[in-house]
Formats: sequence, structure tokens, C-alpha cells
Amino acid sequence: MNKEGERGLVLQRKQRMNILKTAIWRDKLLYVMLIPGVLWFILFKYVPMYGVTIAFRNYNIFQGFSNAPWVGFANFEKMFQYPAFWEAFSNTIILSIMKLFCGFPIPILLSLMINEIRNVFTKKFVQTVVLLPNFISWVVVSAILYALFSVNSGAVKSLADLFGYQGKMTNFMQNKGTFRWVLVISDIWKSAGYGTIVYLGVMTSIDPTLYEAAEIDSATWLQKIWHVTLPGMRPSIVILLIFRLGAMLNVGFEQIFVMSNPLVSEVAEVLDTYVYKVGMTNRQYTIAMAASLLKAAIGMVLVFTANYVSNKIEPDSGIM
Amino acid sequence: MQTYTKLEKVLRVLMYAFIAFVTLVTVYPFWYVMIYALSDSTAALAGKVLLWPLQPSLTVFRRLLGLKQLWSSYLNSIYVTGIGTVSAVAMTAMLAYPLSVKRLRGRKFVSMMLFFTMLFNGGMIPNYLLMKELHLLNSRWALILPAMISAYNVLIMRSFFMGIPGELEESASIDGASPFRILVQIILPVSLPALAVQAMFYGVGYWNSYFDCVLYIDDTSLLTLQAFLRTLIQSASADSSNVVDTATNAALSNETIRMGCVAVSVIPVLIVYPMLQKYYVKGLVVGSVKG
Repeated sequence: MNKEGERGLVLQRKQRMNILKTAIWRDKLLYVMLIPGVLWFILFKYVPMYGVTIAFRNYNIFQGFSNAPWVGFANFEKMFQYPAFWEAFSNTIILSIMKLFCGFPIPILLSLMINEIRNVFTKKFVQTVVLLPNFISWVVVSAILYALFSVNSGAVKSLADLFGYQGKMTNFMQNKGTFRWVLVISDIWKSAGYGTIVYLGVMTSIDPTLYEAAEIDSATWLQKIWHVTLPGMRPSIVILLIFRLGAMLNVGFEQIFVMSNPLVSEVAEVLDTYVYKVGMTNRQYTIAMAASLLKAAIGMVLVFTANYVSNKIEPDSGIM
Repeated sequence: MQTYTKLEKVLRVLMYAFIAFVTLVTVYPFWYVMIYALSDSTAALAGKVLLWPLQPSLTVFRRLLGLKQLWSSYLNSIYVTGIGTVSAVAMTAMLAYPLSVKRLRGRKFVSMMLFFTMLFNGGMIPNYLLMKELHLLNSRWALILPAMISAYNVLIMRSFFMGIPGELEESASIDGASPFRILVQIILPVSLPALAVQAMFYGVGYWNSYFDCVLYIDDTSLLTLQAFLRTLIQSASADSSNVVDTATNAALSNETIRMGCVAVSVIPVLIVYPMLQKYYVKGLVVGSVKG
């Protein structure tokens, strides 16, 4: 490159710097507005992210963080030797698959049905009802379930009596065979309304002329759902599925933590509750952090894979 | 007019039946709590309460009035939810507004920084150690601060602000108004529905969270309502004896008292929810549109 050109480049760079400076200076107050929020994210999100490095250290609470020596994957190796970890791991996988397969299609089905209700008032009413459980806490849900399933006084027992099953009821909340289903179904009960409302909103944005065109082609009711409504929902279904896959190992810590009991812990101990038990009860922070980090890493892999696959199948359909 | 084939007619009948079933299953647990709390304790314990209250009375609620812990935890929940929601909405709006200004340098970077926290977070242990370092254990701020901003909500708010016509702002900035004034006097007044949605997201989150309390609070006088309810459930299996209330001389089972507490905690939600539901539905839909 000759001298002239080089000087030109330097000048250009200077000019660009100046433009940038004036742009930043002009918007200085906007940057000031960003400060509190950004600081919050650094303190409450990014500092804990740095904290995950205790998974690779020999940390104890007395010697402090920065003095803790690095130990590589020793904590993980130790963790892999605990049968309790593997129990929690496999319970997490089982429960996440059950929740994904049972939980994901329900809002799609429900929204398709609610969308077909003709009477406006009934439609509004059903929408209001299905979203309601979304607003109460898992503690409340758990309290209600314990009352409903009580073998002595619960409504489920009374119902079973009516159908001639006196005395044959077991408490679903305290039975290893049924507890997972209690988790899955109560999760659907509480959160299906959310997805349903999202899908119903998506349906209102489908172009009505598509339905008119289908009518002219004398499409039947089911054909309209199959050829117009479902394709219209597809992008949203894909996005929700990606998020769902990424969060697949989050099998509902708040739910399980409050609903489980010693009688079912064998099937109800998942990675999140394991982290709590090992970290907060036994104060083995490093092991707990290793379990927690492993779970987060798998989650990241899942979300990127899902995103990649959906972009491959249909360009620009992913979240990133 | 839509005509239906024979198969479709059958399907529609099944569909309505299914919707009726779903509605029933959703509503019944709430109804059960109410009729259980209102029924006579002995009848309830015998499992006779199924469809309506038996020998209804308000005994349990009178008894609950004397339950100091219930009301102190109620106040704690109101405190945490009130302060938390107001500051959360303020912080969210203040962060979302600059990110919605398209000319701002570095906004993509900050947005990515927020988005990343949706994919990965430190988890329970580092959060606990952080609160310990900050000396916030056993403080109500431990329940408010860590849940204050959600990246998801900021991004929703940002796309809402981006949808506001630019002319409004431009005329104001020509008049020399600062970004703070533009946000407060121009942007926020036209964003009230979106703000209501945000307030509801955060408010429900604060009101219903209990685990932060388990993690950060030992002092029972600082428990929130949900955390207090949890201690009641934990004692559920421990005893099922009747307590005789000295004031009313009525026997009340612990189960009835529990259901009374649940009723008292759910009633505010049942009252507020239908009023705000319209906004909430809008907010969910905004959030689901890709942007």
C-alpha cells in the first residue's frame, strides 16, 4: 500500500472515531439511564455466573473465594461416584420427557378447541378459567392437592367410594408409582393456560382472507384447521418448542420442592432438589455447583441444537 | 356459513364435552378449598364435603383472625410485592427505553448481554453466596432485589417502545427535552397498558414466590405468606388432631385451618385477576411475537 492510501485510512479512522464520540456524547443521558439496570445485571446475574467457577475449585466458606485453589474436574469426578447424583440425574431425564410429551401438545389442542367456540361470552369465560391457575403459587396448589388426595377425607377418596372402591384408595401424593403423574398432571393444570392464551393470540393474527379462500374451495371445518390454522401457528409453535427444549431439564423445582415428601423422594429427587440438598443442607457447595453447572451446560447444548435444527429445516425460524 | 360433515358434528360434540371437562377440572380445586373452609370441621374430616359446604359457618375465618403469624406474613407479602413491583417496573422501563432508541451505539451489545442471562444463569449456590456476601440474608431486600429485573420483560418492553411512532419523541427532543422527561412525559403515558402487564408479571411473581424465602430467610417474622403456607403443609402429615378453639369452643381440624389459610391467600388473586386479565392476555401475545 502506498503512503497516500495509508494516510487516507488513518484520516478515515479518525473521522469515524470523531463521529462515534459525538454520537456517544449526544446520547450521554440515555447511557446514564442504562447504568442502574446494567449494574443490576452485572451484580445479580454476571457475578453469580463467575461464581460457578467454584465447581472447579476447592472452595470452603472460610478461606474466601479468590484464595480457593483450582482443582480441575475433581469435583465432577467425585460427584459421578455418588449414586444419589445418578438417581437425581435419571429422575430428571424421565420427568422432563414425561412433561415434554404430555405438556407441550395440550395448549395447542386446547387453543384449537377454544378458538372454535362460537359464543363470544363462553369463549371469554373459558379463556379466563384456563389461565386462572397460572396465578396461584405452587404452595397453594400443593396444599389443595394434599387435601384432595387425602385418604381419609379427600374429595378423590369420596368419589372413589361412590364408584365402589371403598378403602382401595392410596394417597397419590405418597405413592412412588403415581407421584410422577401427579407432578406432570398438576403442572399441566397450572401452566397449560399460559400457552393456550399465547396460541389463541397467534390465531387472531392469521389473515382472515385465507379462511375465505378455503371456504370458496369448499374446505370442510377440519380441512380449514389443518390447512390454515395450524400452518399459521407453526412459527410460534417452533419458538415455544425451542424454549421448551432449552429449559427441558428445568422440571419444576418450586413444584417438586414443595410437593415431594420422604415417601416418594426416590422418584422425586431431581437435579435441582439434589443441588439444594447437597449445597444448602449438607453445605457441600462445590459438589452442588458441579451438579448445577452440568445441568446448565446440558441446557445450553439443548437450546443451541434445537435452534440450529429449526433454522436448518426452515430458515429464520429459530430464536437466534 | 360453515357446514359440517357427520364426523365433524360428532367431533364438535366431543370438543364441547372436553372443554366443559377442562373448565370443571380447573375450577373445582378452588371451589373445594372454599367449601372445605366453610364446612363443619368434623364433616369435612369424614370426607363428606364434595359439592357444597356442610353446616356452613365462618368459624375458621374467626379463628384465623387470631393467627398472628398469618397476618404478619400477609403484611410481609404485601410489602415485598408492593415495593418489588413498583421498583421492578421502573427499572424495566428505564432500561428498556434507551435500548429502544435505534441510533444508540452499543444497544445491540447490551441487549445481547440481557438475552444471554435468559440462556444461562449461575444457579442457586452462587446466588446464595452473593446474598451472604452482601449481608442481605434475613432481610426483605433479599426477596426484592434478586427478582427485580427480568431480561425477558425488558425485551418485551423494548419492542413495545419501538412500536411507538417516532414523531412524538422527535418533536420533544427538538424542544430540548431530556431523555428522562421524554420517557416520563411522553413514552410512559402512551404505554400504560404495557406497564400494567409488566406490573402484573412482576406482581404475580413476587406474590407467589416462596423459595427465595426458604433460601435467604431464617427469621420467622420475615416469612412471606407463601412461605408461611409452606410451613403449614409441612406439618400436614405430622398431626391430624383437632384443636379446640377457646374463643368459639368449636373444634377445628388443622386441615380446615389450612384450607382457611389457602382461601385467604387465594381470594385477593381471585378478585384482582379478572380485572387485569385483559391486559395480561395482551402482554402474553406481544411477548410471543418474534422481534
